[in-house]
Amino acid sequence: MLRVEHVMGFPVSVRVDEGAGAPETAADEVFAWLREVDARFSPFRPDSEVSALDRGEIPAGAVSPELAEILGLCEHYRLATGGAFDARLPGRGLDPCAVVKGWSVQKAAELLSAAGATRYCVNAGGDVVAAGGPWRVGVRHPEHADRLCAALEITDGAVATSARYERGDHILDARTGRPATGLLSLTVVAPSLTEADATATAAFAMGARGVGWAASRDGCEVFAVDEKRRVLRTPGFPSVRAAA
Amino acid sequence: MKRVLPVLALTVAAVIPLWRYEPSLGTSAETAPPVPAPPVNPPDPDGESGATAPLVVRGSTVSTEKGPVEVEVTFEGERISAVRLLRQPDHPQTTAAVPTLIEETLEAQSADIDTVTGATITSDGYRESLQAAIDARGA
Repeated sequence: MLRVEHVMGFPVSVRVDEGAGAPETAADEVFAWLREVDARFSPFRPDSEVSALDRGEIPAGAVSPELAEILGLCEHYRLATGGAFDARLPGRGLDPCAVVKGWSVQKAAELLSAAGATRYCVNAGGDVVAAGGPWRVGVRHPEHADRLCAALEITDGAVATSARYERGDHILDARTGRPATGLLSLTVVAPSLTEADATATAAFAMGARGVGWAASRDGCEVFAVDEKRRVLRTPGFPSVRAAA
Repeated sequence: MKRVLPVLALTVAAVIPLWRYEPSLGTSAETAPPVPAPPVNPPDPDGESGATAPLVVRGSTVSTEKGPVEVEVTFEGERISAVRLLRQPDHPQTTAAVPTLIEETLEAQSADIDTVTGATITSDGYRESLQAAIDARGA
C-alpha cells in the first residue's frame, strides 16, 4: 500500500508493505491524526490552541496534555542548545513547528504499528520513520536537487535533515535572531523522529558547533555538510555504498 | 573570611557537576541552586547580634573541562542564603563526550534507495523531487 497526501503544507508518503498486516484504514488514521495536529498546533491558524495560548486566552496551566508535551520538548531543546533553539523568539509569536513536525509524524508511525503494520516507511516532507527494514534512505545533495550525497540503511528508526535549500533562511539562531550560518545540511539518525527532527533543527540553528553537539546526543548519528563543502559524520552513521 | 573559604570551595564543587548532565525538563543551572533556602531566623530579643547582615563573597574562577565557572555566594551569618552564577561555560550542556568526527569530501551520487531525506520540501516542490519519482514508481 502506498498513499501520498499533503498535510501541513508538505507531502506525506505512507508505504506499508503487503503482508505486513495493517488494513488500509491504518493510513486513514495517520492522515486524520496529522490533519488534527495541523488544526490544533499550527501557529498559522488563528483558531488553533497554539494561537489561543499565544494570545493569552488559555492559562498556561490549562493547555491540553499534547500541547504540554510539545512545550516541554521545546523547553528541553532550548536548554540543551544554550538558547539557540527557541520556540519563542523576541518579537514573534509562539512557534513550536520545529518540534511538532517530528513529534506528530513519530506518533503517526506508532498508529501504524498499533494497527499491526510490521514493515512500513513514512516520509513526511523529507523526514523519515521506518520499521521492519532494511530500508535504504538517500540523503539529498545540498546543491543538486536530483542527486544524493549519501545513502544509509535503517531497520527501525528515524532520519531527519535540516538545510536551507528548500525554504531559504527559515531557521534562525535564537541567540542572535539571525539566520543560522555555518552549515549547508545536517542529517540525524535517531531511534525516534521526535529526537531526530528536533536535534537536526536545533543543531542547524547552532551552526558549525551544532555538528559536535548533535553527535554527542544519546542515540544520534550525524552526517553534516558545512559551508566549505566538507562532510563531517559520526563513525556510527549507517552509510551504505552507492550502487554503481 | 577564614572559615568562609572552604565552604565556598565546596559550593563551587557542587555547582560544576551541573554541566556534566543534561538538564531535565523545567530545570536549569540557574533555577536549581545547590543550597536550600535559609530558614527564617527568630527575632533577636536583645539586639546584640549584627551577624545576620548578608555578606556577599565572590569566588575565584574555577576551570572545568566545559569552561570557566565563577560564583557569588551570599552568607547570612554562617548560612549560605544564595548562590549566583557570575560566569558559566557559554556552550550548551552535553550528554556525553563528543565522538571523533570523520571528515570526507562531498560527493554527488546516485543509489538504489527506498526514500529520500532532505530539508522540508513544500507540496509545490514535491512534484519535481526525487521522492515523487520514487512514489510514482511504487504506486
